Amino acid sequence: MKSAVISGAGLGFRRELIPALKAGVPDAVSFFELAPENWAGMGGSSARDLRLFTERYPFVCHGLSLNLGGPSPLDESLLQRIKSFMRQHDISLYTEHLSWCGDDGHLYELLPIPLTHDAVRWVAERIRRTQDILGMRIGVENASYYIAPPGAEMTESEFIRAVIEEADCLLHLDVNNIVVNSINHGFDADDYLHALPLERTCYIHVAGHFVEPDGLVIDTHAAAVIDPVWALLDSAYARCGNVPACLERDANFPALALLGNEVAQIASIRQRHADMFSGVSTQVAA
Amino acid sequence: MNAPLSFQAFQFALAHHLRSTRNAGRPAGVAPRRAGIYRELVRNNLEGFLLACFPVTRTLLGPHRWQRLVNVFFRDARCHTPYFREIPREFLDWLLTTEALPVALPAWIGELAHYEWAELAVDVMETAAPQDCAADSDLLSNRPVLAPALMNLAYAWPVHRIGRDWRPRKAQATYLLVFRDAADAVQFVQLNPVSARLVALLQAEGLTGHAACLRIAGELAHPNPDALLMHGAQLLNQLRAAGAILGGTHD
Repeated sequence: MKSAVISGAGLGFRRELIPALKAGVPDAVSFFELAPENWAGMGGSSARDLRLFTERYPFVCHGLSLNLGGPSPLDESLLQRIKSFMRQHDISLYTEHLSWCGDDGHLYELLPIPLTHDAVRWVAERIRRTQDILGMRIGVENASYYIAPPGAEMTESEFIRAVIEEADCLLHLDVNNIVVNSINHGFDADDYLHALPLERTCYIHVAGHFVEPDGLVIDTHAAAVIDPVWALLDSAYARCGNVPACLERDANFPALALLGNEVAQIASIRQRHADMFSGVSTQVAA
Repeated sequence: MNAPLSFQAFQFALAHHLRSTRNAGRPAGVAPRRAGIYRELVRNNLEGFLLACFPVTRTLLGPHRWQRLVNVFFRDARCHTPYFREIPREFLDWLLTTEALPVALPAWIGELAHYEWAELAVDVMETAAPQDCAADSDLLSNRPVLAPALMNLAYAWPVHRIGRDWRPRKAQATYLLVFRDAADAVQFVQLNPVSARLVALLQAEGLTGHAACLRIAGELAHPNPDALLMHGAQLLNQLRAAGAILGGTHD
């Protein structure tokens, strides 16, 4: 039946999509992603629905509430629950945001970490502890942000590299977030991409966003993916190798077939690069 | 906790600003427009989770009082749950335990909110597999097995009748059994004080229907325990037909 290995292109698993998914999963979808904070510890019809799909497809856990960059103690009971949830559903990849989402209480929104040396040590230590508890390496995602915290001691790509190296973890690359940030903060998306430790990439996110009347871009995951994001995905695949990628769609859902088309587009970009890599290796072998 | 590192001082300052209902205290170096986006995002997120759980409470309070409550909750309370579905529980706890709420509220609003929350809580309640039982067994001589996702609730107000067109003038003790049936749909059954006590005994002590009825007869110093047993048997069968009792076991 299913393989626990994540490969190819996937789709965010949302309750709103379940009726359509029950009628038929688009062919291009080879795995799903969910937020453990929405599904772990859940009973009733939601739990039954989830089981129906985790029995047939591999899943990825993409966390929202771990607050890796936050000042409060790491939520180890959340991690224990995620660990048993992952075991229960045979899930082998967990990623979280390189951000913070609470002070002494949850804010339920992802906020940017100041780019300082202290923050690198703080976050890397928490990622290490997370990996110890889960017994696996995790991926951390470059987040979208609307504020560049003052007092930066390095660039954001340097910050990400430093955290990933110090924590010995993996990069969860979100190409939409790069496009959103490049517009909101005025930098070149491609230059930024290539400054990241792409050799550490384990997983890629693709999504759409919303543009406010004054031009500010909001990372809503509620619209179709735009061309600059596809182009950046193409650039990323030229460097990242054959990693899986997932379409995030969290609101304003179109017909499932349209999401299927976007997932198919991810799969075809990935496949094109995979063919190029395999072409190279065939030549070398010959 | 040790003194915060300097990057954490920024985090506390930004979080404080986002929680505050007024536009004061924006951290240095943060543009008003950008801070405003975050205020909007966190506020809308939070309200969205609450609206999904408390539609009747929200309607009866009206937009002004509702938004004031949500704003002050966000400013003053600290949510500790990482699970989004538990945010309504955090709001409910705050509503029920805060002495000086920012707006005047009807006496029944806390119970109404609790009743709305109970529906969500039962819908998603994680349960162990139900105990093995025979669906058609006699519920007096055996131990009735309750639906695993079930809450036996007692209110001072008739919360189940409150709505846009009716609000209670006086308190009236109300007993409601909320549970998931075999199809995992949430069901409500109104009980009386005696039947609520019967369900509580089954839930807490795992008695046979017979033993539970006799316990109640003793508690009430009932003159005719046989009549109470007959009513008890009827009630247990009705609860089985409704899906609140799965069957009986003699294990």
